[in-house]
Amino acid sequence: MNVSYEHRTLFRYEGPLDMQLLPQIVKSAEQLLIGEKVRTPLRRKIISILIELAQNVIHYGIHNHPLANPTISLTRGGDDIVLSISNPIHVSQELFLRTYIENLLSMSKDEQNALYQNVLTKSDYTDSGGAGLGILQVLIKSDNFSYKIEPLGQEHAYFTITATFHTNNS
Amino acid sequence: MTSVLHIDASLTTPEIHFDLEKAHFSIKGSSYPENSLKFYQPVVQYLADLVNTHTPDPAKTFILDVELQYFNTSTAKVLLDILRYFEQLYEKGQPVKVRWLYLEDDTEMEDAGLDYQTAVKLPFELVALHEEA
Repeated sequence: MNVSYEHRTLFRYEGPLDMQLLPQIVKSAEQLLIGEKVRTPLRRKIISILIELAQNVIHYGIHNHPLANPTISLTRGGDDIVLSISNPIHVSQELFLRTYIENLLSMSKDEQNALYQNVLTKSDYTDSGGAGLGILQVLIKSDNFSYKIEPLGQEHAYFTITATFHTNNS
Repeated sequence: MTSVLHIDASLTTPEIHFDLEKAHFSIKGSSYPENSLKFYQPVVQYLADLVNTHTPDPAKTFILDVELQYFNTSTAKVLLDILRYFEQLYEKGQPVKVRWLYLEDDTEMEDAGLDYQTAVKLPFELVALHEEA
């Protein structure tokens, strides 16, 4: 029997997410990436994005949904590290998220970078977040980005962001 | 105003040590608090008071050391506010130098430093640190 180690789950967490738990997740993910011999710049890039997306879930996600919890996973696929974060959202957030992300995806990397600088230097921010900079950061820093929004009952949906990083770029 | 502002580090917040007498100001650690505005409020207040009350001393150079491992985007915006306060002090005639410290192969943090260097009009040095063996 041949066993493929090309796609391995390095880390997976499913459950309620809060700021008490996040540092432990960060520490575990960091140790696993060190074990995978992922170089410091890429490791820090992945962890930065994990923090950003996890804080989006903490700030904006639906908590205590009876059917679905937030999920964070790190997977190794060949030379790629794949970070995937999912969480329940209210259906009213779906249109905004789709419009916002599709608009960002229609931009070039240069345009995304210019927007990031513009928001960073000129916009106001909220108590909880950084004026929508989180998802933009993921787009800028990842080598591949995808998202999906799946139905979850009548009032909710399950929102997933997947960011891929090439280890041979670092 | 008080001369020293000290906030201990936590798992999600950096150590803050601002010492006016020593002209040394330091932010060190990771910064991804649940609420960056709330965490940095004492820092912003300290700097706002400093800008309002400080008489420039050309014989002293204010050194701001920023050494961060991780920071979230809401911290990124507060950091810019902090740098803007130092920019105001500099414009009033107070010598200021920002040292952005990063591990030598941490291109993420180096790039972030370059972004801030471009965003503010301050003497701004990027310092690559060698990882301890």
